Amino acid sequence: MVDPADTVMNFRRRDARDKLTGRTRFTIDRFPAGLLHGAVLRAGVASGILRKLDVSRAATMPGVRAVVTAGDAPGRIGIGIADHPLFVVDRVRYHGEPLAAIAADTFDQAQAALAAIVFDIAPMPAVLDMEAALAAEAPLVHPDWRSYEVLFAGGARGGNVAWEATAVRGDVDAAFARPDVTIVDSAFRVGRQNHVAFEPRAAIAAFEDGRLHIETSTQVPWTVRNGTARLLGIRASAVRVTVPPVGGGFGLKFDLAIEPFAALLARKSGRPVRLVNSREEEMLTCLFRENAEIRIRSAVTKAGEILGREAVVLMDCGAYGGEQIFLTTMTAHTLGGNYRVGATRLVSRAIYTNTAPNGAFRACNGVYNTFALERHTDEIAAAIGMDPLAFRRRNVLGDGALGATGQIFEGDVLGPMLDRMAELRADAPDLVPGDDGRLYGRATTVGTWFVFVGPSAATVNMNADGSATLVTSGVEIGSGSTMQALPQIVAGVLGIRPDDVVVRSADTDAAGYDVGVGGGRTTVSLGAASLKAATEVRGKLLAVAAAMMDVAPDDLVMRDGRIERPGANRYGYSIAEVAARAQALQGPVAGTGAFTGQGVKAMVGCAAGHFLDAIDIPVFAVHDCDVAVDRETGHVEVLGYRVVQDVGRALNPSAVGGQIQGGVVQGLGYALHEDVTIGSDGCVRQSGFETYRLPLAGDVVPVAISLYEGAPSSGPLGTKGAGEVPILNVGATVACAVANATGLRVQELPLTPPRVLERLLGRKPDLAFPHIAERWADNLLHPHGQSTGSGDGG
Amino acid sequence: MPLALTVNGEVRLSNAGPMTPLLDILREEFQLTGAKPVCREGFCGACMVLRDGRPILSCLTPAGLVEGSDICTIEGLSPGGTLTPLQDALESHDAVQCGMCFPGMVITLTHALRRTHDLTDAEVRQALVGNICRCTGYERIVAAALAIAAAHGPEAARDG
Amino acid sequence: MSIFSPLVLHQPASISEAVALLAAGGRDCAPLAGGTWIMRAPIRHEAPPPVFVSLSKISALSAIAISEERVELGAAVTHAALAEAVAGYPDLQVLAEAAGRSANPAIRATATIGGNLCTTSFPAADLLPALLSLDAEVDLARSQGRERLSLEVFLERRAALVPGWLLTRVVVPREAGRSAHARLPLRKAGDYPVAIVSVAIRLCERDRVTKACVAIGAVETVARRWRSLEAVLLGEPVDPERAGAAAERLLYEITGREGIEAPGWYRVHVLPSLVRRAMAGIAESLSSGNSRPCRSP
Repeated sequence: MVDPADTVMNFRRRDARDKLTGRTRFTIDRFPAGLLHGAVLRAGVASGILRKLDVSRAATMPGVRAVVTAGDAPGRIGIGIADHPLFVVDRVRYHGEPLAAIAADTFDQAQAALAAIVFDIAPMPAVLDMEAALAAEAPLVHPDWRSYEVLFAGGARGGNVAWEATAVRGDVDAAFARPDVTIVDSAFRVGRQNHVAFEPRAAIAAFEDGRLHIETSTQVPWTVRNGTARLLGIRASAVRVTVPPVGGGFGLKFDLAIEPFAALLARKSGRPVRLVNSREEEMLTCLFRENAEIRIRSAVTKAGEILGREAVVLMDCGAYGGEQIFLTTMTAHTLGGNYRVGATRLVSRAIYTNTAPNGAFRACNGVYNTFALERHTDEIAAAIGMDPLAFRRRNVLGDGALGATGQIFEGDVLGPMLDRMAELRADAPDLVPGDDGRLYGRATTVGTWFVFVGPSAATVNMNADGSATLVTSGVEIGSGSTMQALPQIVAGVLGIRPDDVVVRSADTDAAGYDVGVGGGRTTVSLGAASLKAATEVRGKLLAVAAAMMDVAPDDLVMRDGRIERPGANRYGYSIAEVAARAQALQGPVAGTGAFTGQGVKAMVGCAAGHFLDAIDIPVFAVHDCDVAVDRETGHVEVLGYRVVQDVGRALNPSAVGGQIQGGVVQGLGYALHEDVTIGSDGCVRQSGFETYRLPLAGDVVPVAISLYEGAPSSGPLGTKGAGEVPILNVGATVACAVANATGLRVQELPLTPPRVLERLLGRKPDLAFPHIAERWADNLLHPHGQSTGSGDGG
Repeated sequence: MPLALTVNGEVRLSNAGPMTPLLDILREEFQLTGAKPVCREGFCGACMVLRDGRPILSCLTPAGLVEGSDICTIEGLSPGGTLTPLQDALESHDAVQCGMCFPGMVITLTHALRRTHDLTDAEVRQALVGNICRCTGYERIVAAALAIAAAHGPEAARDG
Repeated sequence: MSIFSPLVLHQPASISEAVALLAAGGRDCAPLAGGTWIMRAPIRHEAPPPVFVSLSKISALSAIAISEERVELGAAVTHAALAEAVAGYPDLQVLAEAAGRSANPAIRATATIGGNLCTTSFPAADLLPALLSLDAEVDLARSQGRERLSLEVFLERRAALVPGWLLTRVVVPREAGRSAHARLPLRKAGDYPVAIVSVAIRLCERDRVTKACVAIGAVETVARRWRSLEAVLLGEPVDPERAGAAAERLLYEITGREGIEAPGWYRVHVLPSLVRRAMAGIAESLSSGNSRPCRSP
């Protein structure tokens, strides 16, 4: 009935013109009449007791219309554990934690009033890194952790361990005890990464007809709606969220952020309130990609079979659990991905520290676990004397392979993708090392990622003029999914031009629930819901047309804006004529669609504390690059980069290519330039673009791209998410190439020039993690499989 | 005395003080929100406008210093919504993603292409050292600029 | 709208007028040249002084005069204008590179020589080591007169100068034959260098170095001459490897500045490579001909 090929095209995005001419109004560009300006007072210590907070003088300052503090927001939010209040209640847990918020007639008045707030914080000992947090007798970031509401049961918890997830399959001890195995032990560490969405987090809230209306730069309108209501202690239906074009997300805006402050101030003042983070606030409190520490050991035969593997992954969640609690789940599917492994045991622990909370960032968790796994794989290949590419070919996941949680993978995908990469490399000119004294190297890596499927809803309204209106809670964050893939899908079903599909911007009052735009899920989840909604419309139109033409609906085709009988004379009607007739006879034509993941099975008992025991739609990637390393300065230059990406079906190859180029460059930043460090005061030291170095046009290369189509996918029309995965194995590939160029045991990212030079000079010893126990089981709060009931593992 | 600024060919008055960053006046008083405040320290280029044909960082420019100059913002570059050849090339190269950096990118490249018709790849990248894009990975932006250079440059074939 | 809104901006048309305004304003008043540093005061959490005196309407301050003997640069000459004016002069190559590669194009089109020299809290300024290597002097104007200082002395005194002075001009004697500027940003470009080496030399018979000036920037809090290395280079041919090795032996004299972007040891460690790169630049310039005749001082 619908030929998917009709949906494939390089349809241009409709928002490009306004963006190029400066006419697009992002949230930060909106200044409604009567606007107040909000500002947030933040704590300047990493840990302390708030002994006094007096806003009385600030409230009387010129222009001040509202002041709000912890008493105005009684709730706590979180993922898994409700541990996060909006304001400091009594305990400051990170440098930058909000104390109070003010709305005033002008921004300067709001700032002046902030300065008039009197407060007293008694400093307390802080744990600024995971080693300190896990030390015996370490001060607890959340002394009351037992009292928090558990929103999702199953994870072990205790002290500074916010959440612990384990995946165990098979007898790992037996594998390690075999006499014929080589045991390879590796350690890795990565720093944080800042999203640096160009539009900072920004919101405009108004209190209208007894409800809050929040206009915000977010990826997750429904999370903002529900979370704001929870914090304020009001009904979720009393909050409406709408989303203008979003100036970059990358996961930064996959959580509630500043919206509740604006909402509170609007409710209190009765006026619209604009709140926009300064760049410094964004740099210091951005819900970073988390820093992590990883130990991984494998038992491998001489022939290259991986009999056993164990790993400990420590993820710094900062002062509140947030996304990291969920992300402990992903270790089983990323570090536990890529290869066939005999027996596996993995523990992933989210650790509280007195630092700014971390969050989601494009291919969360996957980027560093892929870095660790791929570097470990190269260390294995070296230890057993096997070519690393041959080792990968021998072991990559194929049809019927078991994942870490016992999920069964379908189809041979990574193997043929490696063949495709060999072809891509063959097309590239051979790299001839220059006589510039630099060290040259290359590497090929593989990666496993997934589509974060989940609930989505769509409505398609067929208009009597032959156009269709698609209503979803989808947000346009720049990736183009709602500008390209979604209208293409609807148009393909209805036989109209994608230009004739109007896409409504997100409004929680207009469309049904949606998880949000992220996790590579827009084209898959919103696409599937849109496909269903359009299919319902198609059925209705065909029925009406069939009656008009006195034929069976199955005898008709919808194409080129017409419903007609196949054949040379093209007998039939325009879709507008049919829609108008339908509207006159039955009322306007509409269809609805809903979607959620089908829930792939894992093996019983393998996963504990996981939010997803298995991944619905795996996505694979093969990357390859060439680097040159300056031994005098430690500078790494990427000379060439190639990507083979599993896309299922590329509905818009140009759009996918844009995502790959952009994602790889963001990965190059992570691999080489973007360093986040935390000072002794617990504050992030990189407060702006002078010290946080993003890749510039001169630092990047054009990525050679090959889209691998045809792998199994339950996504609509065989699609998979394509925007998130391009960053997945960039850190891994650059690190492996640098290791190959220099012979160094590369253990850390980013590979900034000082860090590379330090290793080249032999001034820095190999990593050692005193806070990761030698015996794997000693790292667990509870033995795997021992039920933790309420989620309280204390 | 109010500031008299010539913006997109019109004289407009502002009551802001002369040290006020031009960017704030453009955006908040004149509702010309094409120029973006992103880093506010001259590294990202998203706030760029043309002053007498040359790119300036409006976040670091006191408005009092540009009285008497012709200020052209991204909105003034394509009156009536007609795309310039460069904007057209950026659109046809499918270069745009979130779009926040493009006003500045267009300002920089418009000037660079006016100054040197036959820009090379290296020259385009040098011109963009002060324009950061977080989404696209730059290559399509560079390709679009080179396409214009090839179409208009007197030595179009030089860099093929 | 911003902390800058209430500030006063004077735009005098002459140096004398500017100096009078500065003297009257005292500590509440500061000169404003390109403004690229001053306008970032909010980023640094600094309160700007209430009154600024703009230099942009004083045409003399934007003048550039290049003669056989010297280069005279108005303090408000921008990096871009400087780079363009000195391009192609082998002895001024260090200035062309310093002015032409610092920061990014829009900053270079705005930021001035005077601003670069007067910003005490900016250790990575490119023009400082470049001008130090050329033995530059600066003219200061006050309401009660003018004085000329060597740049080195000015850098020592600048933080302690009594308000009311204005740097009006930089004078660069053309005594060097060749010069080069080696800077090390962490990316290809666009960031402040973590270390800078500027070298200017004069050669005489049999291509021996008869005068050598080496300056380092970004490594310590203020750029300075590296005189012990200069002494080693004297009387020798231009030999990048030897110069680098000599620098290596003298590194103990330098303590690198700790910074967010790079540790102190790193800034020091890369200096010999930068010395080698600067000397290689000079060697290349010599071998490409275009030599400037050696003149007696």
